[in-house]
Amino acid sequence: MGYDLARMRDMSGKVAIVGVGDTDYHADYAAARVKDPNYHFLDSEGLAMKAFYRALEDSGLKKEDIDGLGVSGPVIHERMAELLGIQPKLNTSGSIWDTMSAAVNAIYSGQCETVALVYGLAQRSMGVRYGGAQIRGGPMSYYYYHPWGWSSQGAHWALMFKHHQLKYGSTEEQLGAVAVTIRNHATLNPNAVMHDRPMTLDDYMQSRYVCRPLHLFDYCLVNDGGVCIILRRADKAKDLPHAPVLVDGYGVTTGGKDNTQMQWLVEDMFYTYLSTSGKQAFDMAGMSPKDIDHLQPYDAATVHVPIYLEGFGFTKQGEGLEFCQDGRIGLGGELPVNTSGGMMSESYMMGWNHVVEAVRQLRHEAGARQVKDVETSMFCHCSMIGAYPFIFRRGA
Amino acid sequence: MAQKRPDRTLGGVHDTFWQYCNQGELRLQSCSRCNRTFWPPMPVCDTCGTFDLEWKPLSGRGKVVSFCTFERQYYDELPPPVDCIVVKLEEGPQFLSNPQGFTWKDISFELPVKLTFIDCEDAAGPFKLPVFERA
Ligand SMILES: [Zn+2]
Repeated sequence: MGYDLARMRDMSGKVAIVGVGDTDYHADYAAARVKDPNYHFLDSEGLAMKAFYRALEDSGLKKEDIDGLGVSGPVIHERMAELLGIQPKLNTSGSIWDTMSAAVNAIYSGQCETVALVYGLAQRSMGVRYGGAQIRGGPMSYYYYHPWGWSSQGAHWALMFKHHQLKYGSTEEQLGAVAVTIRNHATLNPNAVMHDRPMTLDDYMQSRYVCRPLHLFDYCLVNDGGVCIILRRADKAKDLPHAPVLVDGYGVTTGGKDNTQMQWLVEDMFYTYLSTSGKQAFDMAGMSPKDIDHLQPYDAATVHVPIYLEGFGFTKQGEGLEFCQDGRIGLGGELPVNTSGGMMSESYMMGWNHVVEAVRQLRHEAGARQVKDVETSMFCHCSMIGAYPFIFRRGA
Repeated sequence: MAQKRPDRTLGGVHDTFWQYCNQGELRLQSCSRCNRTFWPPMPVCDTCGTFDLEWKPLSGRGKVVSFCTFERQYYDELPPPVDCIVVKLEEGPQFLSNPQGFTWKDISFELPVKLTFIDCEDAAGPFKLPVFERA
């Protein structure tokens, strides 16, 4: 199955991210932990709206400029358009990767000019759970194996890491380096949930197992938040307050055949998903792994980071965890990873916060955690459903 | 004594799978035209679209390709630790199951295992659960 590379190439760099907004992850989480009676907690809709108005202000645009809408979380697009008071010409809903590629396509084709993608989920307040007997929907692997006592999103990643260990001899200490590096980044981000909670490798090794071989600190957070990302025609993004961040490439490989079977997760460790979708994104952008300055992998668990490094060809297969040692994925390293703290230490926004951080880095406004001279950034989601990489570049 | 287990997914093709288990047989659907074996059950062959899938008996032999242990309780019926294994069956599919008579401490890469059944019970009644012991 191919794609029309000439047309994909032509779309490269034609759409820009011009505005980003997010909510007060750190303050909201701290208030929720102590159940502060005087704190104004927002529901999913409220979180989404707060992120939207921040992104709008950031973009320098007016609400009337928004003519496309993508939504994610429990909020549906009819309701969101009503809350925003707009009549969008594009209505799409789903994940950040699906809505963002839909937005790029719609803007490139001329269907609309400026799209707001809005996400809000008060998952901690709502008591959203990612495992256990009450899970009866979603991907089949989330519920089908209940009789064997196997559940939870996190158990997928335990199986993947155990296979990596069996095959390549990788260790828990090596994986701990990923958790510690990402936590270090979060301590430089005042809005990160774990901003004030530094962690050592020793802390990591002593944390309890949730699903062996993975520890508590291998897993992402569960917290409330909202994110908004505004995209616009790149040729109409030049006079706005910030440097535009161009969408140069993206790729998609969905599971399709054997989607719900275990081999993609276990023996393949998503290599096929990542390598084929990565090639598409690199080809569209006219780049290769050596052109990428900054990586924002969807870190549902630590083990995703080495898996992406291998799948996209930053390292050979089996060498992803070795690459994660000795500061190579930290600030000042060869390829800084999840510099705002990712989903493990900044905020579990299902990849939305990864895109916001890519934008802030490429605008060179990331403060204490700024990667020096960064010009390109890559974001990717990968799970049982497939892989969805995006490549961004700092525009003029 | 039957072990209490969390509820199976039942109905349609899933019932057929468990009926064979209750007879002490592990059978999975396969398409003879496309030479594909499916797990979990499918209503139709994903390649040729035939609804005419055959429930073929399996050898019950396989190798452990991964495992994990739940140290936190997810189900009322199952106090931790709960060991789970992924068995690569001789016929191809990777089958999530439990080790019987051994734990994660005994597992090595591609450890050969063979099928057995244990008596279990969920809200729908008693059933036999396919698990694996060392070959
Ligand atoms: Zn067939």
